Parts: sequence; structure tokens; C-alpha cells
Amino acid sequence: MSDEIIKEEVSGKDRRSFLNLSIFISFAVAIGGALYPVIKYLLPADSTKGTEGGETFFISADDVSVGSAKLVRYKNRPTIVVRLKENEVYALSAVCTHLGCIVKWHEDAKELLCPCHAARFDLYGNVLGGPAPKPLPAYKAAVEEDRILIREA
Amino acid sequence: MNELKLGPILIRNRFLISMYNFVENRLGIREILDLEVFYKLAPSHLGIFSCFGGITFFIFTLQVITGILLLIYYVPTTAQAYDSVIHITNNVSFGWLIRGLHHWGANIMIITVFIHMGKIYFHGIYKNPRELNWVTGIILLVCTLSFSFTGYLLPWTQLSYWATVVGTEIPSAMPVIGEHIKIFLRGGTDVSQVTLTRFFAVHIMVLPAAVVIFIGLHILMIRRQGISGPL
Repeated sequence: MSDEIIKEEVSGKDRRSFLNLSIFISFAVAIGGALYPVIKYLLPADSTKGTEGGETFFISADDVSVGSAKLVRYKNRPTIVVRLKENEVYALSAVCTHLGCIVKWHEDAKELLCPCHAARFDLYGNVLGGPAPKPLPAYKAAVEEDRILIREA
Repeated sequence: MNELKLGPILIRNRFLISMYNFVENRLGIREILDLEVFYKLAPSHLGIFSCFGGITFFIFTLQVITGILLLIYYVPTTAQAYDSVIHITNNVSFGWLIRGLHHWGANIMIITVFIHMGKIYFHGIYKNPRELNWVTGIILLVCTLSFSFTGYLLPWTQLSYWATVVGTEIPSAMPVIGEHIKIFLRGGTDVSQVTLTRFFAVHIMVLPAAVVIFIGLHILMIRRQGISGPL
């Protein structure tokens, strides 16, 4: 009798190890089922719908008043849309090519300024000064009726 | 040693055993575990109504967890409180579940608290030598009701706003000090942002701290005195 039990334990197929495995699996399922909603809850919601590369992206023209700028997500990247005049808009990547801060529009100087290390760019993305090694990627932007369209340059 | 027996649990995993031994060698937890956990016998006269203290405690821990999760998206300002609650319910993944658990947990906790208190009262368990435990229980009851009252305001709906107006109006019926209590509760003459902020602070900091302390005392006293005998 005892020999038999030992033999079964060696092969790992005895009743105890099966029950232990069952208990382990039930606990894992219970804990996993409780943790799944919590992790999903904590993950940020998808805020990038419809802005994969390639296709035309548009925002309402009312969102950007003349002389001001607005930060949007285009191609899943922070993008700054500057409306210089009624029908003159510019769209550029807002990620500074120096260390990745988000550039700000300075209306007085008519240029984009990075708040981190004072890199300066013009509305075509060219570096005017500061530590930025490369120009900002610029996109095509146009006002069409009540929308501002943004597409690849 | 390649086997560890903790009450009914047999552990063969060498990593778990060495972890246990590390703690055991330093703190000597074996005695406490055997006495208080693995060989602790529950009296045979216990029935369903003896469980409601534990059920309340379970719901409270659930409220703490879901409360912390809600805190991650909730914004305690009059301008944004309602919108943030709607955002949690409709936009955040499983936000409806977390808010629902917190909402229904709060409601059910009131019921379980009163069943627990009824059992203690009608069985005369509060009598000597358990008076002090009854006192901590009453403090916990007041904390639970205060949780409900302060939490009700936080979504900043019409219902919660007017419930708070009426609720904070009640003490003002008291002579002399009534009006002062009302103004103290509201942080001003009206229910405003100040009221929301102090209710929020009380709901998420003051009451949880108080409840943790008094639940600790509540349970320590039960452990010290043992569960009361049958009727």
C-alpha cells in the first residue's frame, strides 16, 4: 500500500498533486479575474483614435482662433497647429528635437519656443537658435471651410 | 528539511520553505500562527449572524481598494466633480464596475453593520466584560454613517448637493451652538467648494484612519476576550 503511494508520487500523478494543482489554478483564476479589471482601469484610455499615419486628420477651425495655437495628437504624436492668419495655418511636430519637451507658440515673436532649454523654431520647423540639433518635422495644413486639415508633407 | 507543515497546509516548495524559515528564525511566528490561525477553533455555537462583523470588515477592505481606484480619476472641485464621476462611469475601462462596487458596497455595509449590531445587542454580548468593545463598535458605527454622509456629496449631483444642504441644516436647530456647528460643517454659510473639499478630506483621510485604528482595537479585544458563549 505505502509502496504504491510512493510510486505514484514519484510519477507526479497522485491525487494530492492533482488537487494541489486544482487549488492553485482556482486561486490563479480568482486573483487574475479580480486583477484584470483593476489593471484595465488603471491603464490610460485610448486617446489616439483615428490618428494613425497617412490619412488626413482634421480639427474644427473654431478650435484655433487667429494668432493662437493648439496642441493635438496627429500620427500618435503631440502636434502643434498654429493659425497665423484667417487662412494661413501651420502644423508641426511639437516634440523638441533636443530633449523631447513640448514646444510652445510665442505669438509676439512669431516663433515656437521650447520651454526646457530655449530652442527656437520658425513655423516651417527650422532651428532659429538654441540647442536643437534638427528641425521640427512639419506637416501640410490648410483651412477648408470650417475645418483645418493636416496631412503628410 | 524539505517539507513544511503549517496546520493543514503542506508546503514542499523549497523557496517558500526557506522564506518561511527566514521569518521564523527572526520573529518566531510559529507559535502565533498555530495558536491564532491554524489550530484556532471556532466555538460550535456560532451561526450565520456571527459572521456579519467579518462580512462588514471584508466590505470595508473592498471600499478601501475601490475608493483608492476612484481617487485616481476623481477631481474634487465643484466644476469637475460631476464630470469626472461621469467620465469614470462611462469612459474609463471597468470604471462602472469600480464605482458600482464602491456604491453598492457602501449601501450593503450599512445593512451588515446594523445586523452585526443587532446580534450583539439582542444576545446581550455587549455586557460585562465586553463594554469597551461595544464602545469601539459605536465609534465605528458613527464613522460608517459619516462615511456615507460625506461620500454622498462627492459626485456633486443635485441629489447630493441638496442632501448635504438638508443634512448640515439639521444641527442648526440646536439652540445657541446649532448655527456654529452648521457653519463649521459647511466651512461657510452655504454648501460650496469649501464644503466639498472638507467632506472630501474627511472621507478619504480622517475617517479611514479612524476606522483602521478602531477596527484594530475592536479585533484585538475580541482576540483577547474570546468570542462570547452561547445564549
